[in-house]
Amino acid sequence: MSTPTLDIRNLTLGFKGYTGFTEVLHGISLSVEPGERVALVGESGSGKSVTARIVLGLLQELRTARIGGSVLFEGRELDGLNKRERHALRGKAMSMIFQDPTSSLNPVFRISDQFHDVLRRADPRITRDAALERAAAILAEVSVRDAERVLNAFPFQLSGGLNQRVMIAMALANEPALLIADEPGTALDVTVQAQTLQLMRKLVEEHHTAVLFISHNLGVVREFADRVYVIYKGRIVEQGPTRAVFEGPRHPYTRALMAAVPRLTGGGIPDIDEDSPDFGAPLETHDAEGRA
Amino acid sequence: MKRTLAILLANPLSLLGVVLVSVVILSAVFADFIAPFPEHSGAVVDFANFNKPPEWPYIFGTDLVGRDMFSRILYAYRISLILGIVVLAIAVPIGVTIGLVAGYLGGWTEYLLMRLTDVFLSVPPLVLAMSIMGVLQPTLANGMLAVTAMWWPWYTRLVYNITRGEKEEGYVLAAEVIGASKAHIIFREILPNCVPAIITKMTLDMGFVILIASSLSFLGLGVQPPTPDLGSMVADGAKYLPDSWWLTIFPGLAILIAVFGFNLIGDALRDILGAEQ
Amino acid sequence: MTAPILELDAVSKTFGTGADAVHAAQSISFAVNRGECLAIVGESGSGKSTVANMILGIYPPSSGEIRLNGTALPASRKLEHRRAIQLVQQNPLSSLNPKRSIGASLRLALDVHDIGASAERANLVGALLEEVGLPADFARRSPTALSGGQRQRVAIARALACQSEIVVLDEPTSALDVLVQARVLKLLNQLRETRDLTFVFITHDLSVVRNIATRIAVFEKGRMVELGDTETLFANPAHPYTRRLISAVPVVTLEEAALRSSLAAGLEETTE
Repeated sequence: MSTPTLDIRNLTLGFKGYTGFTEVLHGISLSVEPGERVALVGESGSGKSVTARIVLGLLQELRTARIGGSVLFEGRELDGLNKRERHALRGKAMSMIFQDPTSSLNPVFRISDQFHDVLRRADPRITRDAALERAAAILAEVSVRDAERVLNAFPFQLSGGLNQRVMIAMALANEPALLIADEPGTALDVTVQAQTLQLMRKLVEEHHTAVLFISHNLGVVREFADRVYVIYKGRIVEQGPTRAVFEGPRHPYTRALMAAVPRLTGGGIPDIDEDSPDFGAPLETHDAEGRA
Repeated sequence: MKRTLAILLANPLSLLGVVLVSVVILSAVFADFIAPFPEHSGAVVDFANFNKPPEWPYIFGTDLVGRDMFSRILYAYRISLILGIVVLAIAVPIGVTIGLVAGYLGGWTEYLLMRLTDVFLSVPPLVLAMSIMGVLQPTLANGMLAVTAMWWPWYTRLVYNITRGEKEEGYVLAAEVIGASKAHIIFREILPNCVPAIITKMTLDMGFVILIASSLSFLGLGVQPPTPDLGSMVADGAKYLPDSWWLTIFPGLAILIAVFGFNLIGDALRDILGAEQ
Repeated sequence: MTAPILELDAVSKTFGTGADAVHAAQSISFAVNRGECLAIVGESGSGKSTVANMILGIYPPSSGEIRLNGTALPASRKLEHRRAIQLVQQNPLSSLNPKRSIGASLRLALDVHDIGASAERANLVGALLEEVGLPADFARRSPTALSGGQRQRVAIARALACQSEIVVLDEPTSALDVLVQARVLKLLNQLRETRDLTFVFITHDLSVVRNIATRIAVFEKGRMVELGDTETLFANPAHPYTRRLISAVPVVTLEEAALRSSLAAGLEETTE
C-alpha cells in the first residue's frame, strides 16, 4: 500500500485563554490517499476548519495553541519541520482554496503578478513570460476562455465565480500533492457554485490531486467527495465511502444531520433535536463495501 | 468590567500603569496629608532653606525661594488632574455628540459638521491654544478653555468613524424598521458601541492633556504663579541646570510618571476592549 | 375571497442616473394573500433584496405602488405602517445590539408602538421569549452569550413584538447550522399559524423554499420570471432559469438527484 498523502493521527488541539484551557479537538484521525477526494463535514464549531489550519501549519506558530498527536504529509512528520520548511511546503506541495475568492486574492496586484508569485514558489527562476504561458494554460483548464483579459485584471474587476476559478487554477498551478479546500464556493450563488465544483472535480481528477474538502454542506460533499468524515464537537463520529455514509448513516448525529436537510422533493420540515446525548456515541466506520 | 480589571492586573505592563496612575491620583487627592509642607503650595518664602539639594526633610530639595519641591509636586498633580478631568468632561460630550450626529445622519449635516471639525484639526494644537491664551488672559480657566477647544475634534473623528461602520449593522436597521426615533438610534443603540473606544482614548488623553497643559505653562501661558504646576516648574528650573538639577528632574519625572502611567493603561484597554468587539 | 394583504403594482427601483443607472427592480407586480408564505427566490443581483427593502419602506420605489390592505403606502412610512411590516434579518450576529440586553432590544418595539402598559412590558417581553422557545429570563442576557439559533429566535420575537401582520424574512436561516435551521423553520411555520402571520420569505435556498413556501416568485436580474404555487412550480417549472436554479441545488438523497436531473434534461450547458 502506498503512503497516504495526508495522515492525521490522534490530533488534539487546545487553546489557552484568559479563562483557562479549552480543548477543541479531542483526537482526530483521518487520512487522504494520493488522488483521493476526502471531505470533512461538520457544523460551525465542530473543529473542521482548525484541522485544516493545522495541516497548513498556520496554528503551530500561535502561542496559545497546544497541539498533540501527529500530522504526516507524504510520510513526513509536519511537527519535525521548522517554520521555513513548513512555509516552503505551503503553496507548493500543498495548496489551499478559501471560502471567499475575492478577498483571498490580493486586491492591489494584477492576476498575472499573483500567478507569477505562485509559480515562483516552485521554480524561483521562472521567467515572467513562461509563468504567463503556464497561467494561461491552466486557466484554460478551468474554462476561462479569455485568459489574457483575466490575467491583466485586478481581482475586483472579475466576478466572484471567475475569481474562484482563478483561485482554483492558482492552487493547482504547481501540481500540489494535496489541495485543502475550506468551504469553497459558499460565498457564491448556487448556479456558479455548481459550475465551480464541477470544474474543481474535473481538474483534481485529471491532475490526480488529493483533496481535503472542508464543508458544512452535505449536498456539496455528496457530490464532490469519495470518502467522508463526519466531525462533531472535535471528534470524528462517522467515516466511510460517501455513498455508504449517505445511503446508510449509522451514527445518531449523522442521521440527524441528514434528516435535517430540507429535501428538494418536499416532505416538510423534519422534527429534529438540535442536540442529543446520543450524539456522543462512539465512532461508526463503514468499510469499502459500506458494511460495518 | 470585572474581567477587564482582572486582565489589567494580570499583565505586568498594564499593572505598572495601574500602579503609576494610582500613585498620581493618591498624591493629588491626599496632598494635604502627604505633603510635609502643605503651605509651600502657595506664596511662601523661606530664604534660610532656598535652593537646597535633596536632603531630609526636603526629599526632592527646595526651590529658589525655599519651598519644598516634593510638596509642590503633589499639589501640581492635583492641578493637572483637575485640568485633565475638566477638559475631558467638556470636550468628550461635545466631540462625541457631533461625531454621532454627523456619522448617523449623513448628507449636509455630516458635511457641515465634519468640515468644521477639519478646520479645528488643521490648526496645530499648541498654536491654537497659544492664540486663545494670547487673546484672553492666561488664567487656569482660559487654559482649560484653550485645551478643550483643541481636544473635542479628535473625539468627533473617532466616534464619526465608528458610527459610519455601526450604521451598517443589522441592529440599526432593525431599530429603523421598528420605527425608533433618530435620537434613540444615535444615543441608545450606537453610542454604547462607541463607549469602549471613547474610554480608551480618554485614558490615553489624560496623559496628553497633562503634557500639553505642562507645555503651555512651560511657555508661560498656563497656570500662573504661585500655583504649582509641573510645566512651569520645569521651565523655571531649566535655567539653573545642571547645578540645581533637582529643580527640573523631579517635576520632569512627575510628568513622565503620569503620562506614562495613563498611556500604559490606555494601551492595555485598547487591546482588551478592542478584542471584545 | 378576501383582498390581498400586500400588493406590489408595477414597482420599479433604479439606483443612480444616466449611464450609471442600475435597474435593480423592473416593473414587479404580485399580491400576497393573508396567511401565506410567499418566497422570493433569486441569486445575487436578482433584485429580491431591493423588493424586500421597498416592502419594508427602507427606500421608496422609483415608480409603481405598494398597497397594504388595499391602501397605498406613502414614501415615508408612518408608525402604523412600520408596525404592520416587520423584518427578520439574515445575520443574527449583527441584528441584535451587542451592548444592549435581549430584554432591552425586545422592549424597544413595545415602547415605540406603545404596546401594553409600561409596567406590564417586562412580562410581555418574557412571554415573547417563551413564545419563540426561549426561557423568559433570557431577557437579562447579552446577545453575545447566545448561540446563533437562539439569537435568531430573539430576532423573530422582536418581529412579533410589534404585533405585525407581515414579516419579511431575509434569508433567516442561511447563517445557521442545518440542525438549528430545521428547528427555526419549524418555529416559523408554527408562528405563522398561531399568529395568522403573512410571510415574505427572501432566499436563494430552494430546498428550504420547497418545504416552507405556499407560493414562489423567481427573480432574475431585476425581473420576476416566474410565479406559481410551490407544488406546481417544482413539478413543472416553466421558465428555463427556474429549471437551472433547481438543477444547481446540491442534494443529499437519490430521489432529489433524480428530480434534479429530470429538470436539467433539455437545459443547455451554460457557463458564465
